[in-house]
Amino acid sequence: MKKILVLTWLLVFVLGISVAFAEIKNPDTYVYLHIGEPDTLDPGYAYDNASGEVLTYIYENLISYDGVNLQKFIPILATEIPTVENGLIQDNGTTYRFPIREGVKFHNGNDFTPEDVEYTFERNILFDPANGPQWMIIEALFDSQTLDELVADKIGTPLTEMVDENGNLINPDDAAKLIEFYQQVIDPVIEVQDNSVVFHLVRPFAPFLYILPKHAYWSNILDKETCVEWGCWDGNADGWWKHYNVKKESSPIYDKANGTGPFKFTEWDRTQQKVTLDRFDGYWGEKAKIAQIIDWGIDEWGTRRAMLEAGDADQIYMPAQYLDQVKDLKDLKIESGKRITVTAFHFNWTVDKTSDFLGSGVLDGNGIPADFFSDIHCRRAFSYAFDYDTMIQEVLLGYGERPPSVIPSGMLGYNADLPKFEFDLAKAEEEFKKAWDGKVWENGFKLTLLYNTGNDARQTACEMFKENIESLNPKFKIDVQGVQWPNYLDAYKSGKLPAFVIGWIADYPDPHNFIFTYFHSNGVYGGPQGEAYIKFAQENLNPIIEAAISETDATKRQAMYEEIQKIAYENVLGLTFYQEIALFPMRTWVQGWEFNPIQSGEANYNGIYKAE
Amino acid sequence: MIVLRRGIVFPSGVEGLMVLIFYIIRRVLFIPITLFGISLIVFSMIGMLSPYQRLATFISSPDRLKSENVDQLISMYGLDDPIPIQYGRWFKNLLQGNLGWSYVGKAPVLQALLQRFPYTLELTLFSAIPIILIGTWMGVLSALHHNRTLDHSLRIFAVVGWSFPDFVFGLFILMIFYSTLGLFPPGNLSLWAESIVKSTSFRSFTGMTTIDALLNGRLDVFVNALRHLVGPVLTLTYVQLAYILRITRSSMLDVLQRDYVRTARAKGLDERVVINKHAKRNAMIPVATVSGQTIVGLMAGTVIVEAIFNRTGLGSFLALAAQQLDYASIMGGVLFFGLILIIGNLLVDISYAYIDPRVRLD
Repeated sequence: MKKILVLTWLLVFVLGISVAFAEIKNPDTYVYLHIGEPDTLDPGYAYDNASGEVLTYIYENLISYDGVNLQKFIPILATEIPTVENGLIQDNGTTYRFPIREGVKFHNGNDFTPEDVEYTFERNILFDPANGPQWMIIEALFDSQTLDELVADKIGTPLTEMVDENGNLINPDDAAKLIEFYQQVIDPVIEVQDNSVVFHLVRPFAPFLYILPKHAYWSNILDKETCVEWGCWDGNADGWWKHYNVKKESSPIYDKANGTGPFKFTEWDRTQQKVTLDRFDGYWGEKAKIAQIIDWGIDEWGTRRAMLEAGDADQIYMPAQYLDQVKDLKDLKIESGKRITVTAFHFNWTVDKTSDFLGSGVLDGNGIPADFFSDIHCRRAFSYAFDYDTMIQEVLLGYGERPPSVIPSGMLGYNADLPKFEFDLAKAEEEFKKAWDGKVWENGFKLTLLYNTGNDARQTACEMFKENIESLNPKFKIDVQGVQWPNYLDAYKSGKLPAFVIGWIADYPDPHNFIFTYFHSNGVYGGPQGEAYIKFAQENLNPIIEAAISETDATKRQAMYEEIQKIAYENVLGLTFYQEIALFPMRTWVQGWEFNPIQSGEANYNGIYKAE
Repeated sequence: MIVLRRGIVFPSGVEGLMVLIFYIIRRVLFIPITLFGISLIVFSMIGMLSPYQRLATFISSPDRLKSENVDQLISMYGLDDPIPIQYGRWFKNLLQGNLGWSYVGKAPVLQALLQRFPYTLELTLFSAIPIILIGTWMGVLSALHHNRTLDHSLRIFAVVGWSFPDFVFGLFILMIFYSTLGLFPPGNLSLWAESIVKSTSFRSFTGMTTIDALLNGRLDVFVNALRHLVGPVLTLTYVQLAYILRITRSSMLDVLQRDYVRTARAKGLDERVVINKHAKRNAMIPVATVSGQTIVGLMAGTVIVEAIFNRTGLGSFLALAAQQLDYASIMGGVLFFGLILIIGNLLVDISYAYIDPRVRLD
């Protein structure tokens, strides 16, 4: 036995001693560690950062932002940026023409043509997967949110009532209607004219260009020939519905990719959550400096940190709370940049009566009524009872700032001088005394605030509310509960949360993307604020939000978005906690890295290389 | 010799073998019934959750709450159908060899399980060897030095390991041996070794990198794979060996009190012979049983270690599936582990019956 032990330790020693620290590990490979893995490689379906990280470098778009300047575009697969001045935007902002670049090859050697652009957008619109990103394109081109809605509008019956889950027609006679729908509605909207692609919008849509650039992976340009060969929609009117809303994994390009980008797809190792991209030597533009990229999902923070420290990773994803663990490590540097994202707290004006979080359901000190937050004084009291600066210090270690409303800084509509609530417990007390004709102060209340476990921002926010509000009146009770994500999702979607903390990462850097989401009655976060809120929004906010999106004059739009934010402030529609400044720990040997303010694409892989 | 339930003793040989085969067939026939029962229970438990809760499979984090038509997902995947209908749908697919799609594994469930199983098996086997060897060695030493300093020291050492949360010890190992000393990296292989393993010239026989590397004659890859195994194996060994140590120690102490050991000593046999031949051999019977269970238990109990050392095995996969309520993966995983546990326990029972003739194959 002793011999075995000695041999074991000898083996351990021999295995270990063979290691020596290299100057730069894997000098021609860039290893980026983050959380998770791509949801899919189909740009028509992808709607998550991990997918975007990869797709952004395999595929290309018609245009790109000019570096970190999100207000300026440069052409990529197009050769010019459409403007009114150069005549490429016409018809009062409803026609956009993109001259297409020649001499571009896809990774498999196919030529890139204007037909590929037309095919890409039409294919994605007809695909329109549930929970996918195509609503942006459909909204821009058709003033509708989904293909289902568009079909219902044009034909009179929703598409979901015409096709079954396998894409077969429930009534075969509907084929003619759907063929005609494609020919009359979809096909004419995107046209190839000579060497250009022309988009015809049903009405002016101010942020149209913003939904097209690099990093907007839903606008990645596909290779028609390859897609058809792999089993995607064949480009014909007949039978297009078979490709509508197919399940994610059933998409022929779920795990395949053929783009024109500087890196070609090599492997997606789903067991290891690892994607490998290799430099595309036939790239039309300046070739990437690094030969290989490994985009690797390692969910455990300690492992990511250890691999960065050992030099096996070049850059890692790091939530701000871990900054102290890496800031003093040798041979590491930390880059930072302000992201186009906000985290906010919103109220549910009409909580579902079956909610478990209402306690007794009346103002007797043991619960709240379902419409507790429909009283503006309650909302205002909560707004004064939150210590915004401490939140930024505690959760983000100071790496954040507080916009007045949900429009982040650096974007049209932002104005730092707009009014916002400040932490003031005396005013909070005053408002609580006015709430519900004094019953809140007199009887007290018990409210449950939920957060999904593992989300430190939400937990801290809920606990800060608890501490501050309970200090005002011994009859005030706030119960903070951490629940698993599925339970949180359930409570949120079924309207059972009395209030919720929720963030939004920009799909595109236009105020509409934030304002509509949080404040419009049909916005993703509008609905969960309850029936009373929806009614309020329909009367007071929807008209101006819808007018702002059609307005092409930037000055007028600025004024309109400021007006919306003032309405939000006056009616206390929510509290914006912070806009995060993201931190990017990386090895000092990483050169050419540039901050990218818009998701996705944590690194500028094109220009990156490794050198001491 | 094998003893039947009624105490009728069959001599080993053909008849004994027949009894054994009959016993195995009977146990094997029970496997589908057991698995069916397990699947019903687990599916019913998942079915008690609301469709919105189960939507977490498709919307894995708040960042994904973006699009408005998430309700369409519920009807698309039939999450609001009655549970018997959902179970029937799943069972019908199962009979066709289709366990469904794993949203966590991003592959068909069976493929996801089979891809990860070799990683877990490899880690289990490499960990089981030191756990059993060191555990029994320490247990024997401890018993032989009963209530003396060595006994106390070994027990304290083992109990500390047993009570250490494995994520703490794992991170400790990772920081010391990898971050600081650069010795034993996490993951399965270094990038260069992985490129060899994934090349067309490298044949996969077992899916276990160490064994495949040897079979392909790639000693460099074998050494690299071993280096990646040291951290998790060390962690599991230290955390798990206390159990084997305790069983060995108490079993050894029990045996050392027995008459036949006293007799052997009275006969004037060399102490080494008494210990090794008379005491240790008999003391190993319960240890063998426990060791078998430990190996089977390790398969399912490597979640944290797999996560820390970035070894993408079954444990971490199923933990994530449970978190996201990916019911296809959960059901597939439960059946897979159920099968392994049943077969593992059957093997343990059979081997135990052989080791200890007093055991009846009921």
